[in-house]
Amino acid sequence: MKRLVAIVEDEPAIRDNYAAAFTREGYAVRTYANRAQAMDAFTARLPDLAVIDISLEDEPEGGFELCRQLRALSAELPIIFLTARDSELDAVSGLRLGADDFLTKDLSLPHLIARVNALLRRVDALRKPNTPGELVRRGALTLDAERMQAQWDGQVVLLSLTEFWIVHALARHPGHVRNRQQLMDAANVVLDDNTITSHVKRIRRKFQGIDPKFDAVQTVYGMGYRWVE
Amino acid sequence: MSLRLKLLLLGLATLVLPWGGCQYAREMESALREGEENSLQAVSQTIAASLQGRTDLLYRESLPPADAPDTPTRGASGHAFLQSGPYDLRPLALTAAPLLDGYSDDWPRDPSAWAYFAKDDRHRFAILSGVYERMLYLLLEVRDEHPLFDAPGTNTLDPATFGDRVWLGFEDSQGEQRAVFLAATGPGAVTARRIETGEYGQQSAPLEPRIHGAWQTMSHGYRIELRVPLSMLGNGFGVLVDDRDARGADPLSYGTLRSDDLHTLGRLIVAAPELTSYLAQFLQPGLKLAVTAPSGRVLARADALGQVTGLGPGTPILARLYRRFVDRPGTRALLESSAPIYDRDHTGVIGKLEVTQTANRWIRLRDHALMRMLNFSLSTSVVAVTLMFAFAAWLALRLSRLRQASESALTRTGLVTSFPDTDSRDELGDVARGFSTLLQRLNEYTSYLRTLAGKLAHEIRTPLTIVRSSLDNLESEQVPPSARVYLERARQGSERLNAILIAMGAATRVEEAIGSAERISFDLVPVLESAVAAYRGAFPERSFGPELPAEGVVIRGAPDLIVQMLDKLIDNAVDFSAAGALIIVRLRLDSQAAVIEVDNPGPALPAHVQGRLFESLWQSRAGANSQPHFGLGLYIVRLIAEFHGGEASAANLPDGSGVRFAVRLSR
Repeated sequence: MKRLVAIVEDEPAIRDNYAAAFTREGYAVRTYANRAQAMDAFTARLPDLAVIDISLEDEPEGGFELCRQLRALSAELPIIFLTARDSELDAVSGLRLGADDFLTKDLSLPHLIARVNALLRRVDALRKPNTPGELVRRGALTLDAERMQAQWDGQVVLLSLTEFWIVHALARHPGHVRNRQQLMDAANVVLDDNTITSHVKRIRRKFQGIDPKFDAVQTVYGMGYRWVE
Repeated sequence: MSLRLKLLLLGLATLVLPWGGCQYAREMESALREGEENSLQAVSQTIAASLQGRTDLLYRESLPPADAPDTPTRGASGHAFLQSGPYDLRPLALTAAPLLDGYSDDWPRDPSAWAYFAKDDRHRFAILSGVYERMLYLLLEVRDEHPLFDAPGTNTLDPATFGDRVWLGFEDSQGEQRAVFLAATGPGAVTARRIETGEYGQQSAPLEPRIHGAWQTMSHGYRIELRVPLSMLGNGFGVLVDDRDARGADPLSYGTLRSDDLHTLGRLIVAAPELTSYLAQFLQPGLKLAVTAPSGRVLARADALGQVTGLGPGTPILARLYRRFVDRPGTRALLESSAPIYDRDHTGVIGKLEVTQTANRWIRLRDHALMRMLNFSLSTSVVAVTLMFAFAAWLALRLSRLRQASESALTRTGLVTSFPDTDSRDELGDVARGFSTLLQRLNEYTSYLRTLAGKLAHEIRTPLTIVRSSLDNLESEQVPPSARVYLERARQGSERLNAILIAMGAATRVEEAIGSAERISFDLVPVLESAVAAYRGAFPERSFGPELPAEGVVIRGAPDLIVQMLDKLIDNAVDFSAAGALIIVRLRLDSQAAVIEVDNPGPALPAHVQGRLFESLWQSRAGANSQPHFGLGLYIVRLIAEFHGGEASAANLPDGSGVRFAVRLSR
């Protein structure tokens, strides 16, 4: 059965382009231009994954509202925010509302599809709890590449997809400095330095939420970051 | 000329008030003077009229009987006393009694008042006479090659003792001829004696006690000073000098007496002593009355001029000062008026009455008014000038405050939100409000410009996404290889557009990053070391010379931002230096700040860019780099420096070889 991807986007050209790409990748695609349409459809049937634009027609922040409503319908449904905005505030509020990833529209379609695939893989993996995936262990850190899940001292750290891939890229080769370009490549994103910095900051904060003494992600000023065990 | 000075000058224009006051005072003064002169004239005419025909007072000549008919002999100006005989004596009216000491220094210096009598070249004498308070004073200077005193002795009648002698002959009040002689045995006081012949022919020389005098020798002669009561004297008067060259010799007699019988030849033309007291009854303080003969000789005077002190010590200094401005030079301080005194028939002039009045009376009046007026107007002027000056100072203060505010508002990119003086209701308030509005608009415009890049990026992103996603989709379609070239070019173009968009949004993201940045204490030195190491890798064509202190420099701030700031500075330094150039990254400490300096060799900064370099969207120099450049790099530097409580500045190196960017970070 084809996975159903819902695209909520008010710009028809983009919507259609995305739809074409997902269709080509073998997904069933439904597209909606505004929140009401989308919500009507979602209450009837939940998609397997939703790509939501933040500003929808006459609602500048309609995407957030839709995300909240969708999250109320399903806790596991992967939600990707896609926006022309790239402000830090939007990213933070989007992720806080329970989105799995927050992407700007300058992301290329192959990158987007890779993420969608990854997220759906993770959903699948989480549904099969007993199959151990490829695990990376670095001290207290355990990374499950299959489920795209990170654990610290046995506790799950809730990372967005981008964050998981950044941690993954760093922890795979501890001590090696990963510059920002490498991190972006690993995370399948195109971001500027400040966005990388805030991602790293958020990652640290999430780990420190579990272990206040967490200090494994080090900044190498002017170069990048490295994982220290 | 400053506003203050201008208004001060304007304030000085109010000095026209006191000036006008002075003019008015002068007008008033001349009007007063005219009135005073008229009244003085009336006074003098009145007194002169009261003296009409009073020759008894003026010349001690008895009045003709009231019913006496006009005699032809006494026609117009035919009064005998008005004809000047050669032997007549016309005494001056003295203002003070001379001291009877035989010296002439207390007599008036008036050569025309002397009467001269000469026998020959060697024998002559001169008489100066004067009247003071019912006394006739005589000064007699006799030229004599051989002055000779009487021989000392008791018998003044012994001819053998006779030296030089002087006879006074006069008519007494009854018209009898009298004579006294003066003889002295030495210099000093001299007495007068008259010769009386007794019943039996014996002669005696009793002292005439009413006559006092002094005898002094002088070169080529002697001088005698005498005082004779006018009451002794009638109309006739004369002096005879007996000049002897040896004691007891026959005298050479000459003078105004007949030498044989000592009969008077000339008259004593003098005013009655009562004339002075008559005048005195008209006297008032500040007034001087004088009666003169038609010849101008003063017959009598009454003087109370000095009783009014014009500029006494009591006069206020202010009044003296004012007077200096008001008094016209040459204005007489005295008013003079005269009226002729006619004889009884009103046909001839027998004398003149002169009235002199000091100006003090009306000067006082004027001074009083002048003082009040000048005090008023001057204090008005002072108040006006002071007020104007204060007002000007206040205006200047407000203006300079406005100027400062506008200057600081324009140089800072974060425009001032409040502008001074906008509450004032006057024109300056209007200007301030105008400025404020202007700045507000400028502020809106600047912030619009600042956010323009971000907004533009946002707006362009959607169509760009359409283009890119279309291109992505096109990749999957069957595209002939010939068209694939164009597809690739379209993709490259869209990638560049995307890079531009990211650059355009950089400032906004930095602002956001600053907004969410946390300050931690960290050591700058390792951060900079690490960053410089990274630049060596990133820019292999430049060499980097870090000059960092050996010990740590701990500041509070965000190390990420510091590095980002340094990135921009290094980007800038690389852009404007040639390959192989040495870029110096220096950290130095001063009293309150850590200063990061980046020196790069290269073209100097043009003077006009100073201070604008760190503004948003401002690009001074075309960099060699082909990367999109929106003049945001140095703006980001400034934002980060300000976040660290510091400031960014740029200057040419002292030797002109390059440029130094410095960022002060407060410690």
